[in-house]
Amino acid sequence: MTVDPTEPLNQLDVRGIARALSQIADRPGDLADAFFERAEVVELPPETCSPGLRMRREEGLAVRLLRGGNSWLAARDRVDRDSFHDALRRTARAMPRAPYPLPDIEWPRWSQPLEAAEVQEFPSRFFEALRLRDTEISARLSIRRFHRSLRVVGSEVSAGVETESFYSLEAESQEGRRGLLVTSLIGDDAQDAAKQLAARLSRARSARDAAPPDESEGVVVLGPAATAVLLHEAVAHALEADLLALDGHPEGAIGVQLGSNLLDLFDDPSDAPTGVKRTADDEGFPVVRRCLLRAGKVEQPLADAQWAHRSELLVAGAGRRGTRHDVPGPRSSHLHLVAGESTDLFADAEGGLFFSEAERGRLDPASGFFTLVFPWGQRILNQTPGPSVGRATLRAHVSDLLHAVRGVGKEVHVAGAGWCAKDGILLPVWATAPGIRLEGLEVGP
Amino acid sequence: MRPVDETLLEIVDVLSEQGWDEVEVVHKTGRSRSHRFRPGGFVSSLRREEGWAVRSANLRRSFFYAAAGSPDPEAPWPEGDGLGFRLPSSRPVPPWKEPAELDAPLVGETEAQALFESLDRELDTELPGARLVQGHLDDGSSEQQLASSRDIHCVVRQRAAMLWIEARLDARRGEPGRSAGAGLELMARDARRFGPRELARRLADRLMVAQRGVAPPRDRGEFLLAPDVVVALLEALAPLWLGPEAPRKVAPFIDRTGHVASRAISLVDDGRLAGAVTEAPVDGEGQPTREIMLIDQGVYRQPLLSWRQLPELVEGHGIRRAEAKASGCSRRASWRDLPGPGPTHLYLRSDQTVGVGTLLQDLARGYYLLTTWGAVRFDPTSGRFAAPVTGFSIEGGRATHSVRAAWLVGSVSSLLTGVVAVARDLTFLPRGQGLIGAPSALVKGLELRGAP
Repeated sequence: MTVDPTEPLNQLDVRGIARALSQIADRPGDLADAFFERAEVVELPPETCSPGLRMRREEGLAVRLLRGGNSWLAARDRVDRDSFHDALRRTARAMPRAPYPLPDIEWPRWSQPLEAAEVQEFPSRFFEALRLRDTEISARLSIRRFHRSLRVVGSEVSAGVETESFYSLEAESQEGRRGLLVTSLIGDDAQDAAKQLAARLSRARSARDAAPPDESEGVVVLGPAATAVLLHEAVAHALEADLLALDGHPEGAIGVQLGSNLLDLFDDPSDAPTGVKRTADDEGFPVVRRCLLRAGKVEQPLADAQWAHRSELLVAGAGRRGTRHDVPGPRSSHLHLVAGESTDLFADAEGGLFFSEAERGRLDPASGFFTLVFPWGQRILNQTPGPSVGRATLRAHVSDLLHAVRGVGKEVHVAGAGWCAKDGILLPVWATAPGIRLEGLEVGP
Repeated sequence: MRPVDETLLEIVDVLSEQGWDEVEVVHKTGRSRSHRFRPGGFVSSLRREEGWAVRSANLRRSFFYAAAGSPDPEAPWPEGDGLGFRLPSSRPVPPWKEPAELDAPLVGETEAQALFESLDRELDTELPGARLVQGHLDDGSSEQQLASSRDIHCVVRQRAAMLWIEARLDARRGEPGRSAGAGLELMARDARRFGPRELARRLADRLMVAQRGVAPPRDRGEFLLAPDVVVALLEALAPLWLGPEAPRKVAPFIDRTGHVASRAISLVDDGRLAGAVTEAPVDGEGQPTREIMLIDQGVYRQPLLSWRQLPELVEGHGIRRAEAKASGCSRRASWRDLPGPGPTHLYLRSDQTVGVGTLLQDLARGYYLLTTWGAVRFDPTSGRFAAPVTGFSIEGGRATHSVRAAWLVGSVSSLLTGVVAVARDLTFLPRGQGLIGAPSALVKGLELRGAP
């Protein structure tokens, strides 16, 4: 990729912007920040679709003021001095009569032509991998490459330029859609991604006629990818400060035994895969290796600047925004479940169920009831995954679910990633996890 | 209609000169205010959005380029890839008058705060202990300009407000029922039309059902379906009404007289429906919008089709391509998105002579189902559906107890032919990129169960 979208972000007049922001953050405890963003998405749709190559480039800024529990934000789809001034003025509760001179903002238009050779080459690799696995599957493939650069300048803290680059692959066959997020499509990485996606389609096809499992309460073993979905939906969302606040004070969750003492779970954006690692969050605060659960007990909920500002027990660094137009909110980025001691999660699990993938999960914040849907699975026979079973759903109260963890695998894997859509804002989330073993939960069709 | 900006025409010319036969440029500007009420604070934001997009094609290749800001004739165009495509031709647009509310000011912070506070108060009055926990009010206006190499030049302005609210009712020690939550999502052209008292009443009903409801025994009877439930059913059955393949899918449900439903059902899509939230003279590709009758008093007429889908229409079962009409029904979610066909205002016609109260009073024994709590399942192979519903059990026109975690199940034929009457309370709900509307409907021949 020859495009360097970070260049104008590196050249921002940080001091001038911070000085301008300090005028509107004029009360004790106020926090003001300016968010600058440049993003590019390249999309290659299935070969029968037109237009063939799709390219979206955008940029903009947002100015925000946090005062007490309230916040004001003004966002623009341009980056220049006038737009910054307008956003500043609309965010301010009052502007000084003699304001500081406004900073100059140099922001060149996109001028580089599109280069996406790795995107255009991927379909042939994928279809080759699919042919080698299963000659009877026909699939449609779409690829999107995301690149985003951002910089936050604040009245209190300012961060350097952060960048994120990754690819979203989606293959559709008669059995449904299978997606994959990866951070590279160069060389062997492309080959690995092609094989992984082809394998998912092939496994789904082999399970297509399998009957769903009858309602039962046996052993359930989840592969790393399914574990990652469970942890994201049942733990990470449940420990977001704004969701915790629906039932009282977010700090109240600290120390609660949320799950089995086998669970040590972190959110660590600085340890995410190369390409999506972060040093600062979308509010300019340094990210931290945040221990969500230590031995199953809540240690540090996910908090953004607003919640951290209001509580000495909460730590900022988990504020994320979909785009400049969105108000930041606490979200996880990269979950890491620490490896356990279980060498064989399938031991004494005869007749139990193994699920390598989960399609979606949902936690009802009001009732605490959790559902996790699997597109297909396998019956455990002779201590290994055996015959396929069809679509299945695990249903439990979130507390029962997390206390039902009886084993955590010894080997940690990059457990895939997915899109989180809380409040309608799509964000990629990443995970590394081992498999886990659950007992005593209800799984049925 | 106002003329489009010169820059758009310049881009069409620039790309045409570069050998692109089909060129379309869209420029969209918008401003919106968003107000969020959430625990511990209020968030208010003002957005000014501007972006533009080009799609171009020749015989061999095509591309789509979109960017924030104002249109740039010197943008770095991609080389193109894949297949070519054809753009729609210009078609005459019937006279059109812009709705009056387009220029009304956007809802301000004080007004939004007052709405949420009033909702919270009214909710506590309706159902003591109930509280508003989250609210989100978006109010915005936009202008879209479109120019193409096929002589389409149009400007469309729109205005819409969306309200989403969530309430809680905590369980009280010593009293029956569990902690419960309920939400509502609504859309209107003017945010000032959202009435706190009526919304609080609806939320209170849902909270009551969620807190005290019990799973029903297997039962049959008459079902009065509130607009939310009918909309969810129409949405789930969309493959029967939308797109060129629809006639093949609906064929098993059509009887010898051409009826797919009872005479109480007339299903319409109308992008220029007067007073509807997103009424417009043209769609996202500049094609004139119009009223299309999909089901006329129970008789299946045709599916909803864009100009591009019409030639692909599956004939048979009384449907002939020559008699079917295309409609302006391509919608763009934003300047970043390509246009795609879908409902504009898809709705079940109401009966202005029938009130919901009358239908309820006449319900000797049955259920009044208020809302759905998940996605409706529709299996085209078996022709059966299952809708997760909550509501009230009714005897002699009065509620006897609330019902939750229930499933309304049956065959699609029973559902469509079992509609005995519809009321006058036509309500539109945002679904996908369009709106789906329905009045309350009285249905016979279905079953309520505790599981699908």
